[in-house]
Amino acid sequence: MSEIEPFVGIDLGTTNSVVGTVIDGVPRVIASRSGQILTPSVVAVSKNGKRLVGNIAKRQAITNAENTVFAAKRLIGRRWGAKEVEDARKVLPYQLVPGPDGHDVRVVLGGRTFAIPEVSAMVLAELKADAEAFFGRRVSKAVITVPAYFNDGQRQATKDAGRIAGLDVLRIINEPTSAALAYGFGKQMEKKVAVFDLGGGTFDISILDIGKSVYDVVAVGGDTYLGGEDFDRRIMDWLTFSFAKENQGVDLRQDKMGLQRLRDAAEKAKIELSATQGANIHLPFLAAAGEGKAALHLAKQLSREKLEELTKDLVDRCVQVTERALRDAGVRPAQIGEVLLVGGMTRMPRVQQAVKQFFGREPSRGVHPEEVVALGAAIQAHALLYPQKDREVLLLDVTPQNLGIMVVGGYFATIIPKNTTVPTSQTHVFTTVQDQQSSVRIAVLQGASDKAIENELLGEFILDGIRPGKRGEVEIEVAFDISADGIVGVSARDVDTGQRQSITVTATSGLTEDELRRILDENLDELLERKQSGELERLRDRAEAMISEIETLVPQVKDALTRSRFGKDALQKADAVVARARAAIAAQDLQQMTAVEEQLDRTIQLFKGLVGGAPIPGGEA
Amino acid sequence: MPVDRYQGFVFNVADLSEDVDIDAERRREILFLHAHLSDFTHWEVLSLPWNATSEAAREAYRDRVKVFHPDRYPGKRLGTYRARLEQIFRRLTEARDALANETTRAAYATRTAPADEFARAEAKRLDDEERSKERRARLGRTNPMLARVGRVHELVQRGRQQMAEGRFSQALNDFATALAIDPTLVDAKALAQEARRRSNAEKAKDLWDKAHAAEAVNNLELAQEMAAAAAEADPSNPRYPVFAARLALRRGATDAARSLAEAAVRVAPGHGPAREVLGEVLAAQGDKAGARRELERALELDPGLETARERLKRLRWSFLG
Repeated sequence: MSEIEPFVGIDLGTTNSVVGTVIDGVPRVIASRSGQILTPSVVAVSKNGKRLVGNIAKRQAITNAENTVFAAKRLIGRRWGAKEVEDARKVLPYQLVPGPDGHDVRVVLGGRTFAIPEVSAMVLAELKADAEAFFGRRVSKAVITVPAYFNDGQRQATKDAGRIAGLDVLRIINEPTSAALAYGFGKQMEKKVAVFDLGGGTFDISILDIGKSVYDVVAVGGDTYLGGEDFDRRIMDWLTFSFAKENQGVDLRQDKMGLQRLRDAAEKAKIELSATQGANIHLPFLAAAGEGKAALHLAKQLSREKLEELTKDLVDRCVQVTERALRDAGVRPAQIGEVLLVGGMTRMPRVQQAVKQFFGREPSRGVHPEEVVALGAAIQAHALLYPQKDREVLLLDVTPQNLGIMVVGGYFATIIPKNTTVPTSQTHVFTTVQDQQSSVRIAVLQGASDKAIENELLGEFILDGIRPGKRGEVEIEVAFDISADGIVGVSARDVDTGQRQSITVTATSGLTEDELRRILDENLDELLERKQSGELERLRDRAEAMISEIETLVPQVKDALTRSRFGKDALQKADAVVARARAAIAAQDLQQMTAVEEQLDRTIQLFKGLVGGAPIPGGEA
Repeated sequence: MPVDRYQGFVFNVADLSEDVDIDAERRREILFLHAHLSDFTHWEVLSLPWNATSEAAREAYRDRVKVFHPDRYPGKRLGTYRARLEQIFRRLTEARDALANETTRAAYATRTAPADEFARAEAKRLDDEERSKERRARLGRTNPMLARVGRVHELVQRGRQQMAEGRFSQALNDFATALAIDPTLVDAKALAQEARRRSNAEKAKDLWDKAHAAEAVNNLELAQEMAAAAAEADPSNPRYPVFAARLALRRGATDAARSLAEAAVRVAPGHGPAREVLGEVLAAQGDKAGARRELERALELDPGLETARERLKRLRWSFLG
């Protein structure tokens, strides 16, 4: 692996992210420095102002909910005021604010505001660092995946995130296509494949026609706001309401820390129910009952059947979207030669059953639902960088939604219809409607509705400096272009003179070029700073975060612990570990810090287990 | 190498000697195809004979894109050839899209047919047209439908008879047939309207009974469907959508219940039960304020609605409200 420049494929997920590469022709995932395959897409700023990413950020989410950002992917590239953003604001423990021009969404983290691509960039940078640790050298070339149904704004924002993280983004590819690529890699295949991808936050269905190692996407469909998070939310709502009913209307949603514990418990129960018929949800000391009263505990049993009832409409929605995509492709379910299940949510038996019922065939079990997307991205990165001798591949993807413009009366005129193979371009001629008109304003949108207002506004383009003339005399040809990344470009020229027309873009949901440059500069400073202190600082940050977590956990578990001999012992040991860690930090002793880190982690796990309701070893007094 | 492969095309020396990582033969292929993007037919760009099948076009497309897609030149310097390759790819895709669909493929085949092919197809078409004209004429002479033209009067007469006997749909049928033959019959038009109204009311009543029967055996989905169909057949009666909305609500289909309840209120804004059911739906959807408003209206309109009174009371006491 030394003579060629290393490269990665990154599956930037809503809940978890994965990084992969290809070594000696074999695609494989890269484990994080702490040995995990999945890196939670969570970013936090700790109480002492340090940035935390991944597992370490997820671990402290309960005690630091307001400064922990998860599911940023649900917000990326979205417009301030969009329905999805409004919904998210109601349920997220962290704070969202509009960007300076009022169009995009920012998140408040540790008293500073960040654009969503900046948050995603932190996750990407973490994965990049993991890959660099794996290769032992710098890594910059990457292919990043997005849901097939992502629109231009969401793709552009993801690409920006890659740039901020210091990556050279070779291509943005679609998650289902990527999964199909990993599935078909190295096989001689000649068939139609459906990829059913239900992840943490998004649902995608893609129909591909694979043959002669050309992966030709025929149709895609999806919902960028339907995924595991919604299943979790149903469980949370159920718990909240039944808790309120049993405890005189105590509303759990008021307490951010409690909400985070509830979220964790819901996710855990959901995962458990994929393997079992029932799950116990046990959260002691969840809420205060009021002055002078004992704290309230939550103890519920959730059956698989109940979970299926709570989430029936979500599964139904997936099937409806699938039906529509097949209709668009002009393909009957029986013509599909293989069905791939991708994304953690497809582990749910009810989802598998619905897929099986719809296609009338057993879905393929040949792929790992969480790793396959990153592997496909790595294969594509490899193919885009180096000639392949016997394992050639060519991906041909499509645009997921109609691209068009607003015309008189507020209607939407399609210029490039959905399911058109990309890259593609189309021109449209505009004429002036007034004498001496000097500028034309074009609203470019993406979506399925006839009414412009119901579609997503990608941006407003103002053509100015138009040659003076009578109305209808001057014709401007506007070229709409969709790149292989699925990103839209617009250019214009005067039909008669052939001169290029200047275009100003306004009202986009993304970062402006200036802003992006500013962020890149800032990150460079930070990068230099970090390089100087390097490993030591990283270890120190981690140790400090763990100490503060232990300190927050101690008061919660103290009561339970002091009641047994084992508990008292554990408490003493924890004190000793914390003291040792503090000493190592003060002495800047790298070795000691590494040694103590594991003990800190074990202490946290033990205490968290107690908060989570596990029985206390050694028995209760 | 066949000499006429490029049909005497003259290559530009500057293009052939550009400093890029593409071998000489491939350059010729690219330059030649790029020069013909607009004058080649869809088949020609795919290197297929005229009128080749959809399946052949799909196959050829795969082979061609593997040669001409820019992604197939990783790590290579492409210079001005990159733009050419991109344009070729778009053109190949356009050709494939047009030929993969049998309808557009056939139409394109007619338009692009070689001269002798065109002449033959045209002769066949004219011949077919002649024959079909003859067939139509023959049918016209023997068709009983057309023979009935003189019997319009009889039809109207029979329609009236059927109206009197309460067979509204048959009557409607007769009036409609009469009007189809002679659209100027003014009294038949009025009669048809009346027959349609009564036939629909009858149909709605029938559906209403079926809805109740379905409800009795606890098939709520079917019951709701029947009740909704009744509402559609006879839009003047608010009882039907109210019942349908109630059934939808019991099934937990709140979205459907909502549109049915709203339809009921639209039909009869002063109908108490319609307001009541809308209130119930809103309550189920979590819109407490809206629910309270509708239930209060229902009670104003119809103070005898005890169920509405009960519900309103409960809403007011809700701890989350």
